[in-house]
Amino acid sequence: MDRTTEESATEWRSPMVDVSGMSLDELGAQEGDSTLARALRRLADELDEPGEPIAGFNSAL
Amino acid sequence: MRTFRLTDTAFTALAAGRPSAATVGVLRRAQASRHLLELSEIRKLGGPVPEPIELFDPMAALHTAVTRTALRAGQTPPPPRRAATHHLSASHRGHTLRVRLEDTDPLRAELGLTPSGRLTTDEVAEWQRLLSSAWELLTTRHREAAEIMAATLRVLVPVEPDPGASGLSATSAVAFGAVAISTPGDPRSFAVGLLHECQHSLLNATFTLFDLVNPGGARVCSPWRDDPRPLSGLLHGAYAYQSVARFWHVESRRRIPRQRPGHAALPGLSPARQDSAAHLSAVGSTARTDGPVEVSGPDETGPHGPAAGSGGGLAPEAQSRDGGAAELRGRLAEFEFARWRGAVLSAADTLLSSAHLTAAGTRFVGAMRAEVAGLPVGSVHPRVARLAAGANAEHRARWRLRNLAVPAHTLAELVSAWRAGRPAPVPAESELRADSGRRLESSGRLRLVHEALNDRPAAAGLRPGDAAYLDGDGGTALVAYIEEVELGAPDLDCWAGISALSPQVALRERPEVVRAVWIKLIKSEKVGLTALAAWVGGSLMSS
Repeated sequence: MDRTTEESATEWRSPMVDVSGMSLDELGAQEGDSTLARALRRLADELDEPGEPIAGFNSAL
Repeated sequence: MRTFRLTDTAFTALAAGRPSAATVGVLRRAQASRHLLELSEIRKLGGPVPEPIELFDPMAALHTAVTRTALRAGQTPPPPRRAATHHLSASHRGHTLRVRLEDTDPLRAELGLTPSGRLTTDEVAEWQRLLSSAWELLTTRHREAAEIMAATLRVLVPVEPDPGASGLSATSAVAFGAVAISTPGDPRSFAVGLLHECQHSLLNATFTLFDLVNPGGARVCSPWRDDPRPLSGLLHGAYAYQSVARFWHVESRRRIPRQRPGHAALPGLSPARQDSAAHLSAVGSTARTDGPVEVSGPDETGPHGPAAGSGGGLAPEAQSRDGGAAELRGRLAEFEFARWRGAVLSAADTLLSSAHLTAAGTRFVGAMRAEVAGLPVGSVHPRVARLAAGANAEHRARWRLRNLAVPAHTLAELVSAWRAGRPAPVPAESELRADSGRRLESSGRLRLVHEALNDRPAAAGLRPGDAAYLDGDGGTALVAYIEEVELGAPDLDCWAGISALSPQVALRERPEVVRAVWIKLIKSEKVGLTALAAWVGGSLMSS
């Protein structure tokens, strides 16, 4: 991700696309979008190397 | 196509564990986006796409992730999801928490712990009662944290308890807002457990947006686990324990009035809640000697007492105490706060010095560290602060003893030099043993400390040095632990106690080296542990 400055406010830009308001069909229509492709590649990398569940808080009380 | 953004102000507030409602909304949308992207891949792979799509449901997202993985591996995808119908709701002071109590989803074990079976009506009612009490506590005394929790938490998955732990909980990176948790013993444990896990969910969603840790890096000592952890795991722990430290900081500033045994009241909670709060210990009437006390982290030394011939000493108030136990009663919150504050600061320092954080990660960890460093420690009694520092020092020692092996050639050189009467050679770096899997912290001494702070009688297992340790007499404790080593077959707790208390650099910094050489030598000759540690320490001081 990038750290950029826009309108005097420093921002952290994520490579993740916001498709939360779309349907599957609408998302399918966006195929070929380079931003989407980048987000998909990053997600695939992450999913192919999943971490363990974050398990094990022991309240010890 | 639009991508997610956070202002630096929002980003650092998130790092400090204080995300705004808008930021939690961004994280939620990010997780929904991730879910939809995975569904699109499933459709391309010809897999089953559920109808309707519940994009924001954490267990639906978990089902999608498992389905995608199965399809990619050429395996049969899981059957359709079956959501539970138990819905819990808690309202207090205008704040409402609504969650689903999940006991039917066949994939709920994917959260990492063994799920309980189907719940009875009485069990569901008990979960509701505990949730209402925990929510009352959170909204009364931890309102900001409660608001974040209400925006984050959606599903509770009851899991089987672990015999070796008082309470277990877990989250999954692909199920934002779902928490697996064993039946809590009381509302306060429940509240702090949920806070802890919601932080994991927030950080999981943050990882979806930003890369904070670069790949690679060694597995390191984590202040809350006995097994070595990757840097990303250390960050997860630090972020979660940040909320735990803040919770106990608030709790530590409250005085809990003395009640007759078994009926301690939780200030701010209604009398009707007293049964569920009966675990809380009463605070003694002993005058406090409060004052600013800086708490050291796991990388620092513990409550050192005078070792044989060391000339060290305890602070005066520890030596003029009233027998010890009364001062500690009811100070569990102070202990937990001091311990986890020190642990988070230490973990943050490890991360910042790792050279494996991204620019975003450096900013994130720096903001998290600043938040925790800003929690004042003035409310912590000096003796409790020393016990907290001791717990962290002991943990670090036990971690080294358990996970680090002295290279064979180093051990041979040290043994040979000792027998020849030569100065100790500088020992090579110890090596990580083979991964033995997840291991929660286990310490007999820590259990005794908790019992003392909770005003419960010490259970079996009090070793000769432990009573002195609890009394704040580190010198006597150290002598007793060393005697135990020299007389018999000490366990790791004994060695960890020595390391936490000793003023000798070799025992503090490289206990695994001293122990390995000791075990090798003691088979054939009589060796004094203090003398051996001084000899090994000579090499460390000169290196």
